[in-house]
Amino acid sequence: MKANTAMLNDDGVSARQTAFFAAFVLPIYKLLELPALLARFAAGDLLLPALIQFLLQTGVIVGLLFAASRSEKTLVERLEERLGKWSRLVYGVYALVFLFSAVLPLLDLEKFVYAVFYDTSPTLFSFAAFFLFSAFLCTKGVKALGRIGDLSLFLFLFPFLALIIMSLVEADITNLLPLFEQPFSNTVSGVTYTAPHFLDALFLLPLIGNLRFKKGDGVKITTGYVSGSLFTLLFLAVFYGVYSTVAMRKHYAFAKIAQYFPVLSVVGRIDLIFVYMLCVVLFFYTAIPLRNAVAYTVKASGIPSKTLLSFIVNLGAFLFVLFCNKYYDNIYAFFGNYAFPFVWVFANLLPLLLLLLGIRTKKENKENSHA
Amino acid sequence: MNTNAQKLQNELQTNLQTLKKLLPSEDVLTYAFQTADGVDCALMYADGIVNKELLGTLIARPLSTLSLQGLQSDDKSATVEKTLRFPELKRKETYQDAVKEILDGNTLLLVDGLAIGFIAGAKLLPNRTVMEPPTDVTVKGPREGFIEDVKTNMSLVRKRLKTPDLRFETLKAGKRSDTAIALCYLAGTTNEKVLKEIRSRIQKINIDIIPDSSYVAALIAPRPHSVFRCIGTTEKPDVFTAKIAEGRVGILVDGSPIALTAPYVLTEDFQSSEDYFISPFLATIFRALRFLSLLVAVLLPAFYVSVQIFKMQLVPLGLMLTIASSVQELPLSPALEMFVVLFLLETLKEASIRMPKYVGMSLSVVGALVLGETAVSAGFLSTPAIIIVAFSGICLYTVPDFVETGSILRWIFLIVAGCLGPFGIVLLSTFLFAYLLTSDCFDTPLLAPFSPLTKRDLRDSVVKYGMQTLNKRPKIFQSKNKTRLRVNDDKGDAYES
Repeated sequence: MKANTAMLNDDGVSARQTAFFAAFVLPIYKLLELPALLARFAAGDLLLPALIQFLLQTGVIVGLLFAASRSEKTLVERLEERLGKWSRLVYGVYALVFLFSAVLPLLDLEKFVYAVFYDTSPTLFSFAAFFLFSAFLCTKGVKALGRIGDLSLFLFLFPFLALIIMSLVEADITNLLPLFEQPFSNTVSGVTYTAPHFLDALFLLPLIGNLRFKKGDGVKITTGYVSGSLFTLLFLAVFYGVYSTVAMRKHYAFAKIAQYFPVLSVVGRIDLIFVYMLCVVLFFYTAIPLRNAVAYTVKASGIPSKTLLSFIVNLGAFLFVLFCNKYYDNIYAFFGNYAFPFVWVFANLLPLLLLLLGIRTKKENKENSHA
Repeated sequence: MNTNAQKLQNELQTNLQTLKKLLPSEDVLTYAFQTADGVDCALMYADGIVNKELLGTLIARPLSTLSLQGLQSDDKSATVEKTLRFPELKRKETYQDAVKEILDGNTLLLVDGLAIGFIAGAKLLPNRTVMEPPTDVTVKGPREGFIEDVKTNMSLVRKRLKTPDLRFETLKAGKRSDTAIALCYLAGTTNEKVLKEIRSRIQKINIDIIPDSSYVAALIAPRPHSVFRCIGTTEKPDVFTAKIAEGRVGILVDGSPIALTAPYVLTEDFQSSEDYFISPFLATIFRALRFLSLLVAVLLPAFYVSVQIFKMQLVPLGLMLTIASSVQELPLSPALEMFVVLFLLETLKEASIRMPKYVGMSLSVVGALVLGETAVSAGFLSTPAIIIVAFSGICLYTVPDFVETGSILRWIFLIVAGCLGPFGIVLLSTFLFAYLLTSDCFDTPLLAPFSPLTKRDLRDSVVKYGMQTLNKRPKIFQSKNKTRLRVNDDKGDAYES
């Protein structure tokens, strides 16, 4: 008998799930390498470039929500209705964009795993196990993303707050003062170099795209995203408060931020339990662009077998990580120094193109007036 | 033409001969007698499952005083029917139906000159008495447990739900066992879609025998190969009725004391019937304790191994030194050592369940003292490993319904921790979360009410609110009838200070 996969909510994803996704899943990657990078460029002013990026992303998300609110149909339904067969081309582009957006999170995660989970050097293939999980997630529908959002409320919020409370003991927030000490060019460099860390609108696209918009959903999702941004800003402030001038050398920030909590010397690194809980969300986050890439490739190519595509995509990603991890710094420098205009196109303009769907056709106007 | 499908004949002897051919077994007996005017009659029944006293008093004795000669066929059968004062009396016209009834424990009465058989419900099946189930013992609360007889179990449910909305639908499954399966639900409360799905899955069962409800659970499960079950189980009628009242569908299987309930959510396993009879604060503490214990049971051996091999920072230095000193001369690697100790625990557990009670005591001595103590002193195993496995074993039993799944997961986590360390543990946890997130059974997500988040249902999950606040049925079961408790507006008497 075939498994019954019908869900509680026929609408696929709800606004609450999207808001939770924005609040509790999206910030996790920003707690990894971003704090050290921002400290390198903007030192005590590290909140400023982050704030600029958040404002930009919030604008894009509000734009997307506006487009979604213009009809009772979802953005995906309208895209397919308007473009017909050409919508496949759009899906193909998104599949490629998601593949590229997975590059840095995958490389970061590999380094993070080897640094945080092992005292001794692990085998070359240890990280390969991640792709088994990722391949599994790639076969799941968009409803899975919504449910990840719900679950992350528990897996992100409690350990995050615990780590922040533990690190506050050692944090000196005055390290952030005086504000605007760094030249503005540093802030700009910080903004451009860290652009690949702010693909939030892009990551929310599959969720917002499948959302059947109701009144009040826009406020919910925007509040969710703003909360997520505030979590990140709080973390950045505490991080710089703890590490100050050496912050730029403190990679994988969330795994280290609470390590100076006095009790840990007596009871052992119990902060790692909270770190491991956050890692669950991090693993989800890293696998999500691959899942999205598979989902859009299925739509673009019409290949019905998600399993096969998932296998191919994950095998490719594994080989990429295996062979390219030694070029980690070069890839980072490439994305930060040269590719940021493309990243901005991907992160901001491409999602915003869906605003065009917000413009009602004559037919839709007629339908609405009849209704 | 198949004999089974043929109709009964007028001649008693022909009927008896045919039925004897169809039921050649020696336990099927025939008792022949005559009416007052010499008309031949016969009772046919399966020995040992019929109340013979009732047959004598309510069938043979009244009929032996009756005169049937000269009556027309219709009058004859009506007279017989009037004479027999059985509350359960049916007419059957084919050999097939007659055979089915006899095998089901009923008695067939045949009268010469009548082409019908009377079925008298004089069943007397060997049953044990209703008692407290050994797998679900409570300190406070009802102690009755289901038994193997489906009728008794139905009566235990009816006793608690005296409403016309309580419906039983009896289905049959098992080609040879012809087992009765009673679907039990509250009309207007249960989700019709789920009920329809379960009914259709039971009707599709095509197996020769069903010895226990676990067969039904396995055969109707939407995800039969999953480590996590899709159907809840209970041996207690009070728990069963409470679940039905929440909007679930209950399944009672003849021959099994274990009742099934569906849909099932994972948090059910952390709830005990006692939680509803004690203070909600205490219930919350107990539930949190069960939840933590389960985590310890499943993850502790794996973490112990990964700490030793991959990540020593996880434990404080002093403890690490103690562990190091006790494992330094061991011939086995940490993973292999833990594997051996866990294997010993599982073996002892399995043996102690199967072994006769009087050998059990010696087994504990051999297991705990001889194997454990001597293995440590001989330097094969370390004391921390034995402590960890023993503690993990105890913790697992705080959630008895999760023991099977927990044991499997503990092995998997151990293997993964031995290969990949803490990374493997976290990754496997993430994988399990992803699996549970996307595993829906009977329209209900297993991880509910955490994901998808159902705020109202969180009141009876890990945290237990007071009864006054649990006034709505769980949203997750999509019951049409949402309210289960109407809170009285009367605030009670106000006392002046």
